[in-house]
Amino acid sequence: MKISKTIYLFFIPGLILYSIFFLYPTFSAVFYSFTNWDGISANFNFVGFENYTKAVTGDSVFVKSVGNNLEFMLFVVIFQTIIALIFAIFLVKNTKVNYMLRALFFFPTILSSVSVAFIWTFVYDPSLGILNQILSLIGLDFLALNWLGNGDIAIYALAFTQVWFHAGQMLIIFVAGLHAIPFDLYEAAKIEGATKWQTFKKITWPLLAPSATIVIAYTTIQSFQAFDLVFAMTGGGPNNTTEILSTYIYEVAFRGYDFGYASAISVIFMCVIALITYLQFKVLRSNRVSY
Amino acid sequence: MKKKLGMFAGLVLFVVLMAACAADSSQEESDSGDSNSSGSEDSSAENQDTTEISFIHWRGEDEEVFDDIIGQFEEENPGISVQMNTYPSEQYQSNAQQMLRDGSTGDVFTSFPGTQFETINNAGFFTDLSDEEFVNNFAETSLEVGQSEGSQLAVPYQMVFNMPVYNKGMFEELGIEVPTSWSEYQAMAETLKENDITPIAFPGADIGPNQMMNSMMMNNAKNEDIFAQLESGEETLTNDWWINTLEDFQHFNENGYLQEDALGTNQDSAMQMVADEEAAMLATGSYHMASLKELNSDLELGFLPPITVSEEEVEYEGIHTATFMLAVNKNSEKKEEAKAFIEFLSQPDIASQYANETGQHLTVNDVDYESESLQNTSHWIDEKDTRFQPRYLIKEAAVEDAVLGSIENVLGGTSPEEAADEAQQVVEENID
Repeated sequence: MKISKTIYLFFIPGLILYSIFFLYPTFSAVFYSFTNWDGISANFNFVGFENYTKAVTGDSVFVKSVGNNLEFMLFVVIFQTIIALIFAIFLVKNTKVNYMLRALFFFPTILSSVSVAFIWTFVYDPSLGILNQILSLIGLDFLALNWLGNGDIAIYALAFTQVWFHAGQMLIIFVAGLHAIPFDLYEAAKIEGATKWQTFKKITWPLLAPSATIVIAYTTIQSFQAFDLVFAMTGGGPNNTTEILSTYIYEVAFRGYDFGYASAISVIFMCVIALITYLQFKVLRSNRVSY
Repeated sequence: MKKKLGMFAGLVLFVVLMAACAADSSQEESDSGDSNSSGSEDSSAENQDTTEISFIHWRGEDEEVFDDIIGQFEEENPGISVQMNTYPSEQYQSNAQQMLRDGSTGDVFTSFPGTQFETINNAGFFTDLSDEEFVNNFAETSLEVGQSEGSQLAVPYQMVFNMPVYNKGMFEELGIEVPTSWSEYQAMAETLKENDITPIAFPGADIGPNQMMNSMMMNNAKNEDIFAQLESGEETLTNDWWINTLEDFQHFNENGYLQEDALGTNQDSAMQMVADEEAAMLATGSYHMASLKELNSDLELGFLPPITVSEEEVEYEGIHTATFMLAVNKNSEKKEEAKAFIEFLSQPDIASQYANETGQHLTVNDVDYESESLQNTSHWIDEKDTRFQPRYLIKEAAVEDAVLGSIENVLGGTSPEEAADEAQQVVEENID
């Protein structure tokens, strides 16, 4: 069938919006990453690759924020995926109780991130926080820590909040994926005498791969974009131990007034996310099977 | 069919463009100040002769007082109305410069001293106020912070004392004298601890060492150019002045002068500790006195900066910051109206109302402080030897973060030398 050329006209509105809201800002960031623009003045100079060189070789806080971000991402991707998957398996049947529980687990997702940050800041408060009070009540005083004030654990405390915030959303994706698996495969496995673990390993997990791909890729991107939660809960402190790439970009651009350098970090940031997401898709796609 | 589709697509594009243009022109009308934002035709007619100026600042807690003052200003100046917008201080520090750029926002704006003042000055957004008569209404000693190359670009309105606030009544009850040396300070802290009172409530989770660092270092580094020298490479954080300051913080932390888990405590919890008399001092500044009094009206408050040297070595008794600097946007088309508003704010009776209702000291001359807390502490303005907040003299945000980070590092258990080394590395990465 020959497609009329007129049909291409319908791309124009979308293309215009895409250009204004995506392509233009992206290319602007790339452009400014080669300058020393302060974000305010009309004048700036081109500095070549200086900003990129600084990021890679001369900025220990940037390196620290990359490390923190990777730790944060790994914790969130692993725990969020596992928790969402376990809950999805238990709540897969469409019963009234399960409907209610799914809604309950999904509830944090609809809260604003600042509200979540506010709630968890009080949960983690070392003296008044409910977490330490519960731990003390059940005799686990040694686990009552300074959650957000201790540089060694603060990033994990933040990552746990992120998991609490978004696991419900991933649970729904996994439940949808589980519902798409044909029931007769489970019946056949049962007849063949497969154990629960074998059924999970040979049927559920491989056929859940498309959902898992979405969950893992989306969780990774979310972990890199967790600006609001981190900014509101710790502001990157203490001593940059919870500084992640997005909060560092904000810091450089809006407190340091170095938009050129912030743009260079943003470009690196964009490339890192694209690379990780591509690798994840590649690995997870190779695991897909069909029966 | 092809022709019809082409015409339809063209029409859609035309409508979108027209809509965009219409929105733009309505924006221009609104920005020009000729139309009233409320939108009613009647009110537009009524307000045709009124010039609306925009006033932006970060003191959300002062909105009520400002609303009243603005009402009085509008009554006295029927041709001018004031649209006030406040932003959280963090957001204001980051975004004010962007808002000032086109001149439609912030005809009257406020600026922090230090980095923000420098940035706005470099961008050329300050109107020179040197020849304005109202400048004489401000204490001469406070004006320097708003000057650049001999021009008065902004006038500081508030006088903040960035040093610990203490419970005077508690000290009297326990028979503790105000310490004047490091040994007396240590004895004071021990007495408080013996009475199960935490000497200092330190809000490390949000305010951090931002305020406390100033009074901790004031006599360890008496040179007021120390941070300028650090940023020019002539000084380092690994030298005695900073190592000593970090050691003092370590001493405070390890000897229980600060509450347990100080880095995880937010300002509300720290204030509550002082209000409940579980702690004797709050490591912030004068701007929290009114809130403390709200939490416990029986508190009698004063300032008690840490003395970290012997009595003979004491040069500075405390820290002050002339801040909340009022300025007129150079890109504004309503400069005269904006100046009239600043002049109104600098009248002693208006300034007195603002000072007493917000519980703050001001830089305006002849202010009549009525509240007990303000009266008890107003002698710090003229009689005490205070120095300008050193932290605000750090120009590079990354250097400031490194300096503050080294304190957090020490409070987290790192040795002063190691923390200073790490911070110095960041400083070197960020200076030319």
